[in-house]
Amino acid sequence: MIRVPLRPLARILPARANGENPDAIERENKRIRHEEMRDRMRARAESRLLILGMFFVCAFVVVGARMGLLSISEPMEPRAYAPGASISAARADIVDRNGALLATNFETHALYAQPTHMIDPVAAAEKLVQIFPDLDHDRLVRDFTGKRKFLWIKKTMSPEQMQAVHEIGDPGLMFGPRDMRLYPNGTLAAHVLGGASFGKEGVSAAEVIGVAGVEKYFDNYLRDPDNAGKPLALSLDLTVQAAAERVLWGGMKLMNAKGATSVLMDVHTGEVISVVSLPTFDPNNRPRPAITGDPSDSPLYNRSVQGVYELGSVFKIFAAAQAIDLGLVTADTMIDTTPPMRVGGYPIGEFNRKNYGVISVTDVIMHSSNRGSGRLALQIGVARQQEFLKKLGFFEATPFEIVEAAQGKPLLPKQWTDLSAVTISYGHGLSSSPMQLAAAYSAIANGGYIVKPTILKQDVRSLQGERVMSAKAAADARMMLRKVVTDGTASFGEVPGYAVGGKTGSADKPNPQGGYYKDRNISTFASMFPTNDPKYVLVVSLDEPVETSGDKPRRTAGWTTVPVAAEMIRRLAPLLGLRPTVEPTTLADITLTSSN
Amino acid sequence: MSYLEYTVKSVPTGFRKILYLNWPLTILLASVAGVGFLMLYSVAGGSYMPWAEPQMERFGVGLVLMVLVGLVPIWFWRSVSSVAYGVSVMLLIAVELFGSIGMGAQRWIDLGFMRLQPSELMKVTLVMFLAAYYDWLPPAKKSRPFWVLIPVVIILVPTALVLGQPDLGTAILLLAAGGGLMFLAGVHWAYFAAVLAAGIGLIAAVFQSRGTPWQLIKDYQYRRIDTFLDPSSDPLGAGYHITQSKIALGSGGWTGRGFMQGTQSRLNFLPEKHTDFIFTTLAEEFGFVGGFSLLVLYTLIIFFCVVSAVNNRDRFSSLLILGLALNFFLFFSVNMSMVMGLAPVVGVPLPLVSYGGSAMLVLMLAFGFVQSAHIHRPR
Repeated sequence: MIRVPLRPLARILPARANGENPDAIERENKRIRHEEMRDRMRARAESRLLILGMFFVCAFVVVGARMGLLSISEPMEPRAYAPGASISAARADIVDRNGALLATNFETHALYAQPTHMIDPVAAAEKLVQIFPDLDHDRLVRDFTGKRKFLWIKKTMSPEQMQAVHEIGDPGLMFGPRDMRLYPNGTLAAHVLGGASFGKEGVSAAEVIGVAGVEKYFDNYLRDPDNAGKPLALSLDLTVQAAAERVLWGGMKLMNAKGATSVLMDVHTGEVISVVSLPTFDPNNRPRPAITGDPSDSPLYNRSVQGVYELGSVFKIFAAAQAIDLGLVTADTMIDTTPPMRVGGYPIGEFNRKNYGVISVTDVIMHSSNRGSGRLALQIGVARQQEFLKKLGFFEATPFEIVEAAQGKPLLPKQWTDLSAVTISYGHGLSSSPMQLAAAYSAIANGGYIVKPTILKQDVRSLQGERVMSAKAAADARMMLRKVVTDGTASFGEVPGYAVGGKTGSADKPNPQGGYYKDRNISTFASMFPTNDPKYVLVVSLDEPVETSGDKPRRTAGWTTVPVAAEMIRRLAPLLGLRPTVEPTTLADITLTSSN
Repeated sequence: MSYLEYTVKSVPTGFRKILYLNWPLTILLASVAGVGFLMLYSVAGGSYMPWAEPQMERFGVGLVLMVLVGLVPIWFWRSVSSVAYGVSVMLLIAVELFGSIGMGAQRWIDLGFMRLQPSELMKVTLVMFLAAYYDWLPPAKKSRPFWVLIPVVIILVPTALVLGQPDLGTAILLLAAGGGLMFLAGVHWAYFAAVLAAGIGLIAAVFQSRGTPWQLIKDYQYRRIDTFLDPSSDPLGAGYHITQSKIALGSGGWTGRGFMQGTQSRLNFLPEKHTDFIFTTLAEEFGFVGGFSLLVLYTLIIFFCVVSAVNNRDRFSSLLILGLALNFFLFFSVNMSMVMGLAPVVGVPLPLVSYGGSAMLVLMLAFGFVQSAHIHRPR
C-alpha cells in the first residue's frame, strides 16, 4: 500500500513560509486517512452483510417454498401409514373348471404394538394373553416395557379378536389391514394350490406371495395387478375332487396304507380333473417343512408328482402295446412263459413262483406274467423300448404346472441292458410318478396320442400331441386292460355300467439299506373308463397297504388298490357326467308281472 | 477499534433508557412467544398445564431479564465477555464431569431452581467473545494467519466439548455461528473458501469410503444419512419423525384444520411434539398461512436486528447484534428445515415457541445484549 505522507514537504514548506501551522495539515491528512479507512472497512462490512442478507433471503425462500409445497402436495386427511400403501396385495383368485372358488383374498388385520405409545403395557399384555392364549405373557411384558419401539403381535386375526383388542383401548396397539389368502375349501386340493404367505410387510399392507403349488408356479400371473379381476381357472372339478379325496381317504384307512395318491385325467386334453395326495394339509395354515425324518412322510409331500416309485406291473401294457404296434405280435400270439428264464445271468421269476405255461399276449397282461412281458421286451429291444418310453414322457420330470413337479425326476437305469429292458417291462428299474403314468395311460386310452398333463382348464376338446402307437395297438391294449378287470388280477375293479379296464402293479419298496422290503410295497392300479371309448384315466396308488381280512395279510394291488379305485370310479363317474351302459340281462329274469 | 466510551454524547441515562429500547423487536419477540403459548396450549389438549403456563412464566422472567440486561451499558458487557466465555467453557467441562443425564446425552447442570444447559449459554458467550476479539484486534491484522488461528481455537474448544456430550446439532450451530461472525468481521474470504472446499472434500471422502476397508464412519451413521436422504425407507424407525411431521404439514393444507383441531400431533403420532417438533402442530392447525406467518415474524426479527446493527457505528455492538441474529436465524431455519425434511433431525428447538426453560432464558439474555447495544449506540 502506498502511504500518502501525513506531512508532505511540498505542502509543509510553503505553509511554513506563509506562517501557517503545519500541524493543521497533518491533522487534516490524518482525518482524511481515518475516513478512508473507515469507508473501506464499511464497504467490506457491507459487502459481507449483503452476502449474509442474501443467505437469509435464500433460506427464507427455500423454507417458505418447502412449506408451500408440503401444504399443497397432500391436501388430505392424515394418513398415518402412507409409506406402506405402495405394497400391492391384490392377488387374482383361483377357481376350478366350473368357476367355483378355490383361493381368494380375505381382508383381515394384523396387530402390532408401539410400546412407546402404550399407556399401561402390563395390563394390555394381560388382556392380550386372554384374547390370544398362544401368546407368552412374560415375553409380551418384556417387549412392551423394554426398548423396542415396534413389534408385531399377530399377523392375522379374526374380526372378533380384533374387536376384543379394540376394547383394550390402548393407543399403542395398532391394526394394519392385511389381505390374507383364503382357501375356502380347507384341505381340498391342498397340494395343487400349495399355499401363500406374506412377503414384504408394511403396517398398512403386506405382499402375498405363493410358496408352493400353482400359487407359486403362477405367482407372477396372480400378482400382476392387471389380472386382479381375472381368476386363474384350473382344470380341477371341485365336486369330483371332494369326492375323490373322501373315497381315497376312506380306502387308505381301510387298507391300512400310510399314504395314497390318485390322478384323474381327461384322456383327450391331459387336463387333470382331480389329483389327490394323502396325507394332506390345510393351505390356510400351511405346516412348516419337517426338518427331521423322511420328507416323503410329510403331508406337504405331493405323492402324485414328487413321488417317483417303481410302479410295477402297470408297465407291462406298454410292452404289449409296443410289440403289437411294431407288428411283432398280435393279441393272440402265444408266448412261452415257462421257467427257467435267465437274462444276463439273472433268473426272471413270477409272483408266487407261478408257471403260466405258453399263453397269449392277452393272457400275459391278464395274469401279469413277468416272463411274458420280458419276452416281449426282448423282442422289442433296448433302443426301441427306450424311444417308446421317452415319447411317453418317462424320461423327464412331469411337465406339470405346480412347482413341486420339477422335483419328481424319474430314476432311470444307468446302463440300459437287456436285463434292464426286461425288468422295466414289468415296472422295475425305472421310477416314475403317478402323474406320468396317468399321461402314458391316456395315450393308450385316446387311441395312441401323447398328452401333456395340465392343471389349467383347456378351452379345446382335444389336445392330442404326437402319435406314439397305432390306433389298432391302442385298441388291442385297451381290450387287454378290460380283460384284466373281467378275468384277471383286477377283478374287484369291475364297476357295473362303466366297463373299467386297467392294470395292477405291486412293487416292493426299496430298502434304504439295500435290496427290497418283503412286506412293504406300492400298490398301483392304472385304469381307464369306459374302456370301449375311454374318457378318463384314473391312477390310484397306495403306499404300504395291507388287507387283513384273509388268513394272511395281502398286499397286492388286486386286493388293496383295485377295490379302492373301483369305489372311486363308482362315485366319480356320475359326477363326471358319464351314464352307465347297462347291458341287458337275460330276459328270463324279468317278467312283466313280477312284483318283487 | 472502539471509541465508544469517549465519544458517546447523547446516550440516555437512568430509566429513560426504557423508552429507547428497540420496541419493534420487543413486540415481535412477544408475538412469537404468543404463538408458542397458543401451540403449547393446543398440544396439551386445550390446557395451560403442563406446558403453556410455565412457558408464560418463563417468558415473563425472560422479558424482565432482557430489559435489565439491556439497561446495562454495552461497554460493560464487552469488558466481561472474555470472562463470560471462560465461565461457559468451564460449565461445559463441569457438565462433562458431573452433569445429569437426559435423553441419552449429558447436557444439564442442575442449579436447584433450574436446569442450566451450558451449551445454550455457550452459543451467546461465544458470539460475544468473538465480537469483542474483533473489536480489540486492529482491522489490518484480522486476516493474518496467527490472528485467524486464535478465533478458530476459540470456536473449536467449546465445539469439541459439545460434540463430546454428544450434541451434534449444537456443535454445528456453534461452528456456523462462530464462522459466520468471522466472516462478518471481514476475515479474508480465501479462508472460508478453503474450509468449504475441505468440508466438501471430506463429505465426498466419507461417501466414497463406504463399503471399502478404509471406511471413515460407522455403518449405523451411514444408515442415518440414508434415512435423512430417504425417510420413507425406514418409516417406523429413524425416519418416523420426519414422515409424521410431513404428514402433519400436508394435512394442514393452506389454511389448516383450525385451532385445536390437529390430529397428528394430538393423537401422539409425534414424539417431542411440544419441543423440537412443535412447528408441525402449528402447520397442521393453521396450515401454510400460519406456518408462513411465523416464518415472516422470525424474518422480521432478523430484519430489525440487522437494521439496528447497520446503524450502529460501534464495531463491537454491530458484530454482536449480527452474530446473535445469525444465531437466532440458524435456530429457526434449522428447526424448520428439520421438521420439513430438508435437514437431518438434530434436536434444535424452535426459538421462543418450543417448550424449554434454559433455551428461552438464554435467548432473552441474548436479546438483552441486542437491546443494550441498541440503547447505548453512539449517536
